[in-house]
Amino acid sequence: MKIVLLFCLSLFSLASHAVTLEELQQRFSQQPVLRAQFAQQRSISGMSQPLNSSGNLLIAQKNGLWWQQEKPFSLTLLLTENRMVQTMAGQPAQVVTADNNPQMFQFNSLLTALFHADQRALEQNFTLDFTDKGQGTWQLILTPKTTPLNRLFRTLRLQGSAFLDNIDINDMQGDVTHLRFFNQQTQPATLTVAEQAHFVG
Amino acid sequence: MSAESHRRLAQGWLLICLLLVAALCWLLPRSQINSSVLALLPKQQLAGVPDALSRGFSQRLDRQLMWLVSPPENAGTAALDDWLARLHQIPALNDIEGSMSPQRQQEWGAFFFSHRNALIDDATRQRLTSGATAQSQWILGQVYSAFAGVSGKELANDPLLLVRASQMAQQQNSAGMTLDNGWLVARDAQGRRWYLLHGELKASSYDISSGRQVVAALDTTKQAFEQRWPGAKVLERGTVFYSDYASHQAEHDISTIGLASVIGVFALILLMFRSVLPMLLSLLSITVGALSGTVFTLWVFGEIHIMTLVLSASIVGISADYTLYFLTERRVHGADTTPLESLKKLFPALSMAMLTTVAAYLMLLIAPFPGLQQLAIFAAAGLSAACITVMCWYPYLSRNLPVGLTPGLVLILRWLHAWRSRNVLRLGLPALCALIALGGLAKLHINDDIADLQALPVGLQQQEQQIAALTGQTNDQKWLVVYGDNAEQTLQRLEALRPSLINAKAQGWIDGYRAIDLPSLKKQQQDLDLLRNRAPQIVEQLQQAGIAVKAPDLSSQAVLPAAWLNSVVSQGWRLLWLSLPDGRSATLIPVSGVHNSAAMAELAASSAGVGWVDRKTEFSQLFSEYRAYLSYLLGVAVAAIAIIYLWRYRLPHGLVCLVPTVLSLLMGVAALGYSGHNLNLFSLLALVLVLGIGINYTLFFTNPRGTPTTSMFAIFMAVVTTLLTFGMLVFSSTQAISSFGIVLSCGILTAFLLSPLTLPVKKRGKKK
Repeated sequence: MKIVLLFCLSLFSLASHAVTLEELQQRFSQQPVLRAQFAQQRSISGMSQPLNSSGNLLIAQKNGLWWQQEKPFSLTLLLTENRMVQTMAGQPAQVVTADNNPQMFQFNSLLTALFHADQRALEQNFTLDFTDKGQGTWQLILTPKTTPLNRLFRTLRLQGSAFLDNIDINDMQGDVTHLRFFNQQTQPATLTVAEQAHFVG
Repeated sequence: MSAESHRRLAQGWLLICLLLVAALCWLLPRSQINSSVLALLPKQQLAGVPDALSRGFSQRLDRQLMWLVSPPENAGTAALDDWLARLHQIPALNDIEGSMSPQRQQEWGAFFFSHRNALIDDATRQRLTSGATAQSQWILGQVYSAFAGVSGKELANDPLLLVRASQMAQQQNSAGMTLDNGWLVARDAQGRRWYLLHGELKASSYDISSGRQVVAALDTTKQAFEQRWPGAKVLERGTVFYSDYASHQAEHDISTIGLASVIGVFALILLMFRSVLPMLLSLLSITVGALSGTVFTLWVFGEIHIMTLVLSASIVGISADYTLYFLTERRVHGADTTPLESLKKLFPALSMAMLTTVAAYLMLLIAPFPGLQQLAIFAAAGLSAACITVMCWYPYLSRNLPVGLTPGLVLILRWLHAWRSRNVLRLGLPALCALIALGGLAKLHINDDIADLQALPVGLQQQEQQIAALTGQTNDQKWLVVYGDNAEQTLQRLEALRPSLINAKAQGWIDGYRAIDLPSLKKQQQDLDLLRNRAPQIVEQLQQAGIAVKAPDLSSQAVLPAAWLNSVVSQGWRLLWLSLPDGRSATLIPVSGVHNSAAMAELAASSAGVGWVDRKTEFSQLFSEYRAYLSYLLGVAVAAIAIIYLWRYRLPHGLVCLVPTVLSLLMGVAALGYSGHNLNLFSLLALVLVLGIGINYTLFFTNPRGTPTTSMFAIFMAVVTTLLTFGMLVFSSTQAISSFGIVLSCGILTAFLLSPLTLPVKKRGKKK
């Protein structure tokens, strides 16, 4: 799930008109808050229909990431500097901290690295292939090179222009997930009271 | 006693000595030298834990070796593979584990898969218990997650995602370490990566010579490795490093201190007697003493501890005393008495001196410390033999001793005269001693902490701290032992204990613990029943949510301890499990960060088949108990001596005779205060010897048959030889021994200085 966050952050950190990865990251690091909606389609081999889900997400540089799936069932994922909380209706929250599960938390450092435009951190785990697609659009293909990432994913393809718009995830088992982000907003630049509440507790 | 019967005694003693030599030749190949510091400590009294099990564990733990290797930057795992290969070349090492190969990782997954119905993790069990919905919701969450990577294949093979859940639980158990290409890695504050490796010694680390070889081999390997990979660092942990360090210390002590003592004593004898004969005779009695001491110690204990050897060097000084006392007498009176007459004259003093010293040493037997018990046996047997040698043989062997005046007669006369005539000395010196003693006592601290006795080398200590910080695994030697008549009972007891462990952590009694994660057969069956109960509903709910899954395979996949032990999944955990051939089994739960040892002991006491082992706290308590016990015993001894003195000499001289004894004890303790050492059990043991040896000096002076000048000289020689030997212990690098030496030398020096106080003032004053 850390990985999820990582990618979301990387997605949104890439802004438009950028020609290089460095510029994208630098621009994104100047956006303190980003809100968006997402729609996800996951196709699993052997399953007759793809699984669709959708919801909202919120990234605040100072607080972390809040990912809320609303359909078909509600699931909330909160990631801060030192813990990760997953909440499902009717179940106790699952909490993972850096101390009790560093494996999952390793990804956190990647996230932080992204926030600080630390391209090196990404490169420790992935081979990066950045392409300027012209007219302000771009594509970044991440190929995992460390375990356990390389056991799970074949590639992650990120596409966008002003913001990150799409992620395509190719699993090693041949399954595909397509994530689309829309309605991205960076204003207000500070968290509202309601938004702040997500990160409390 | 007639000359004839004495001759027969002498011949008999020769026969006995020859028998002792034969016994030594027979015993030596069958015995071993023990160098373990822990062996000096009392045998562990584990509450209820069967001895075979606790011995099995401690032997196994002593064989463990652990490394944390930090390769230089950018070297990656190549440096680690090199280190691993180098370790494999050391023949004394076994079972070296580094990274888990992809194949092993697959086996790991395969084991969990083929036993998924038996190895249910806590979180899954909780969800299943609360209802089918909880588990189906969790499965949906995983399946929908873009980054969880649940594949169609996984769903087909394990529709309830049991393998996934148990592997996630395993990850939670990683104690601050992460996995990198099969290696367990910890990161320090600077972000440096440390890779964990593990190995085992083939032989027990108690074995001195093989321990030394291994440590030497590891040192060279480490040096070569760090040369090949500049910037690489290696941290090591293992009992073998500590015992090797201790044996080096002891060897140093024996070779330098022992040698210095022997040379000092012989030089003194040569100087005083100006003849080689006394030196040879001293050597003879010392040799016979050492022979007898070694034979008896080996006979009683089957081994001799290296510390016993160090301390027994100090016995050299005492056993030389008997020779010197007899030879002094012969030197002064050789012209006008026969050797047998001299023997008769000295017999009471010699035998009394021997008996009191032997009695003092035998008092050490009270303390339940194997090392001290060995020393007691060694000293008692050694000193008796040395004294008997003097009595049986020396009347013959001393025939050619040149006759002369008491050496240093003038000085001795002046010293004794001063004691009789000058109140400044007679009252002033004891008063001064009392003042000094009070000053030292004011500075004295009592500390029964065992760590105080065993100063670890800084290098090892630093490594230890680093390793503890990196892995979260301290080397506290504190653990719970869960045991049972068979594996199943042990596992059930472990399960019964788990809630208490969680509670202990929540209460802050402990920071953490590591317990194996193998459910009992009973638990496995309960879980299976639960699974069979919930599965149909879960499958139905998943299908309703649009995820078509088959009914899961719910056959019994029970895991027996043997299968678990033989599988890859128990890697890193198998050390914590022990089964004896008769089926009795136990598991160890190492505990870190203990804040309330008493509560843990209570917890163990209230659970069936659980023992709490906290070696350090136990020993410190034991030390404190025996320190108090010995203080009491010393008090009783002093009181007994006081009564005897008062009965023999009446007031006030009876009390005066007691002054040197009391002040020598106080000065011994005060010396600790001045030198910054702490008072502990060992100081008390030294005081026992101060009492036993110091009282001789009083005895010599109060012996009605003795001549004060001869006594004075014999005492002087005895004190100097004792100081040369016990005094040398002050320089021992083992703190327990050096503080032992300080107490002894200061106490005995005081006893010597004040002993003329016991001379009768008027009655004998005019005789000389």
